[in-house]
Amino acid sequence: MLPPFKILHTHSIEDAVSELSRLGDQAKIYGGGTELLILLRHNLLQTEYLLNIKPIAELSHIRSVEDSVRIGGSVTHRRLETDPTIRDRLPMLAGAESQVANIRVRGQGTIGGNLCFNDPHSDPATALLVYDASVTVHGPNGARQMPLQGFLRGMYSTALEPDELLVSIDVPCLPAKLGSSYLRIHRLQRPTLTVGAAASRRNGAIEEVRLAVGCVGPMALRLTELEAKIQGGGPDDSRKIIRESKSYLKKTLEPIDDLLGSAEYKVYIAGVLLERALAQALENVEKKQDGKNG
Amino acid sequence: MAERTDDMQMLPVRVNVNGENWQGPIPAQETLLEFIRVRLGLTGTKRSCESQVCGACTVLVDEQPISSCNYLACEVDGKSVLTIEGLSKNDVLDPLQEAFMRNIGAQCGFCTPGQIMSAKALLLANSSPTRQEITEWLSGNICRCGAYPAIVASVQEAARQGNRSVQ
Repeated sequence: MLPPFKILHTHSIEDAVSELSRLGDQAKIYGGGTELLILLRHNLLQTEYLLNIKPIAELSHIRSVEDSVRIGGSVTHRRLETDPTIRDRLPMLAGAESQVANIRVRGQGTIGGNLCFNDPHSDPATALLVYDASVTVHGPNGARQMPLQGFLRGMYSTALEPDELLVSIDVPCLPAKLGSSYLRIHRLQRPTLTVGAAASRRNGAIEEVRLAVGCVGPMALRLTELEAKIQGGGPDDSRKIIRESKSYLKKTLEPIDDLLGSAEYKVYIAGVLLERALAQALENVEKKQDGKNG
Repeated sequence: MAERTDDMQMLPVRVNVNGENWQGPIPAQETLLEFIRVRLGLTGTKRSCESQVCGACTVLVDEQPISSCNYLACEVDGKSVLTIEGLSKNDVLDPLQEAFMRNIGAQCGFCTPGQIMSAKALLLANSSPTRQEITEWLSGNICRCGAYPAIVASVQEAARQGNRSVQ
């Protein structure tokens, strides 16, 4: 049974922001509600009002904008999994979204809610970090945009202020030369570990590489130091570098021992999946090029 | 179902449930599961994990599978809801129900209404799913008895049956 609350419908971004400013701590944004209703049921969160943002049409758009795709905060995981624009222009994201929880959660839960809740065990952030995505939030003083990595602050914590609303996520498409891959291992619908990779090759060497890992520590992270070490070397060198990066991975990812595995196990698996994802990303570049030549 | 108090927000709802219209006020915090089981007395839909993981409370809202435990009842205003009770018409079972019986697609049976409603949503969206599409779609419906192979066989058979009757 859920504790009592009142629902307020909002019809525009301005409307929602002014209600958030007026009500402060007494209101919580209600989008898909997948996580929110569970928190309310278990008394992990108390609120007098649910601010329903579903009627705001602008938040449910998916639009191609030049070399990127702008995704509204209310777009569901299921739409990101199936939408033709996302599948065509951001295929790794569509693949990651197809693995979120189960069909019912995907149909109800939204990308904006997912990022704002910042549950450490979640798929989309890992994929979005590889794309260098940024988020736009609106507050009483207007809009501000920031890189997703800066928006994610820690476990269940983001840079979103209590009177702000996440409006959209801008996701630049990967340059044509980059192949990509998203891998995860999971137990009972919740990922234990997620890895996203994108890479390109030039004259046998890895020209550009992007690597992200999620679900191991407090939040999803880009592994910039590891990327820098791998860049410029050959694929064989990259395997060796990843294998020798255990202490870096442990320090950076901050794994803990829990029911999903020991910290040591998670660092080991992170290395294995990073190697595989990088190899697949490089393979996907070649496939893309084969496709063009053919 | 929440006990009514004076400061409770009541929302007007008009909904079609299993082909019949219902209308009336519902407390804002009432879940669709409470509405179905307690208010309407349709107890085929099961309450289990209450965290949108197990699938026992699956019903269809406008043909989409929903965890009724974690979905506000007021959201169904203007929509149609299909529960396990609405699958059979005039004592004629749905091909899915027939197939689950023939293949013994259950052991204890507690998860079965959710399995069947989830499969119903799949067949409405895709009348000829592959085995992999079935297992992926139903991966969110947990069967603690482990009847999965028989459940998949039931859905495959119902899909074949459904397509034959259409032709």
